[in-house]
Formats: sequence, C-alpha cells, structure tokens
Amino acid sequence: MEESSEQQLDAKSKVTSQLIDFEWKLGMAVSSDSCRSLKYPYVAVMLKVADHSGQVKNKSFEMTIPQFQNFYRQFKEIAAIIETV
Amino acid sequence: MAAELEGSKCLSGLLSGLAQDTFYGHPGITEELLRSQLYPEVSLEEFRPFLEKMKGILKSIASADMDFNQLEAFLTAQTKKQGGITSEQAAVISKFWKSHKTKIRESLMNQSCWDRGLRSLSWRVDGKSQSRHSAQIHTPVAIMELEIGKSGQESEFLCLEFDEVKVNQVLKKLSEVEESISTLMQPA
Repeated sequence: MEESSEQQLDAKSKVTSQLIDFEWKLGMAVSSDSCRSLKYPYVAVMLKVADHSGQVKNKSFEMTIPQFQNFYRQFKEIAAIIETV
Repeated sequence: MAAELEGSKCLSGLLSGLAQDTFYGHPGITEELLRSQLYPEVSLEEFRPFLEKMKGILKSIASADMDFNQLEAFLTAQTKKQGGITSEQAAVISKFWKSHKTKIRESLMNQSCWDRGLRSLSWRVDGKSQSRHSAQIHTPVAIMELEIGKSGQESEFLCLEFDEVKVNQVLKKLSEVEESISTLMQPA
C-alpha cells in the first residue's frame, strides 16, 4: 500500500524509473471560451521515462510559472547536494 | 421591478453565489436557492432576468480581466443603460470584483488547463557506497517522486532516479526554460 505523500521519501518502497529525455515548451494561453483575456504563460513538460523492463513511456504535465520556478529551485538544491555527497 | 431587486443589500451575496457556480464550479447553486436565500419576497419570474443580468455583467468583467479603469468605465455605462444597474449596485459589483479578481482569475486559468499538473514533488539524495562486488565508489543518486494529476482524478506517482550527470543535464534544460521565460516577460 503506497503511503500518502510525506516529506521523507522512502525510496525503498518505490520502483524507480530512469529519465530518458526531458522535453519542454513555454506556452501562452491567450483566450478561451470562458475567458477572452487569459494571458497567462505556462510551462508544458514531456518526460520520456524507462521503467525497469526498459519500456519507454511519455508523461506530460503543465506548470504555472511560479510552480516551474519552485521546480527549478528544487533541482538546483539537488544539484548542490549531489555534488557534495 | 420589485424594490428589493433595485437595492444592493443582498447583491454581494448574490455575486458570491454566482462566482461559486460560474467560476469555482460548486454544484447546487440553483437560481431557486439564490432567490429563496437572498430575495425571498421576489417571484421567480422577476428574479430570473435580474440574475441573468448580474451573471452577464460578472462574466463580462471576468472575461475581459478588467483593470479598475476599465471596470469604472464599464459599470458607468451599465448605470446609464435602459434596464441597467443603479450606481449603488455598481459600487457593490466594483467592490466584489476588487476583492475576488485574483481568485476568479485563478479559477479561470485552472479551467483552461486540460493537462495534468504537478501536484507535489519530493526528493532525496542517496550516496551509494562501495560494495564488495562492484568497483563503484561513492555514486550519489537523487531519487525524486513527482505527483502528477488534476483535481477530481487520482494522481500518478512517478519515481525517478538521477545520477549527477543526469541532474546537471536536466538543470541545463531548466535554465533554458528560465531564459525563455525571461525573454517572454520582457516588455515588448
């Protein structure tokens, strides 16, 4: 049974995948049927991941700019730590 | 028109109800509910067009994402129209938009995002130490769990492993995104 998201990541209970490719797109939502003046930028991400069997899958999701900046910041943190380990 | 409809006392409540239904997607806010809660003295036949008028005004304001100058001009025009609104009502609508604008805009943005979002992110860095059978010494690895999903759906948890090389590759991509964002945000 998967535990609900907790701060401490217990990797032993998760099966990990490898990231093959990270594709991105910066989009701007201009207008929609419910809002003629949307004007908001977003980052769309497409991850190509390979599971333990080698099967490659696409996983896509969107982030607002603040969400992306948080994502970027966390990656920088990881990079800083992994360098010192 | 019923006197109650010309007043502005319950208009704020009405606008809240309309926002709940139109923007935040809360179910069950029927016109009968709004009428009975806020304008019980008014018949449904009289209430209906009034509700439609207010809904139309709120939708126009939200759709154009009006700033306060545009709002002023728009509401003033509405007060001058035949069958429009009173200046008291305009004041209530103006106050409502000023305090709800950000939240309504966020709802509209969410509504137009049809892909899944990144709901949460957690990670840790492990240091792999040397083993008897492997020549590998000290290969640190980052393990990241991404929660991908959208409201109303079960999330997908994606667990990824990165070595230092991969982390830096992704970091480079992310800095490209950041650069694009900066270029986009620059004044034309």
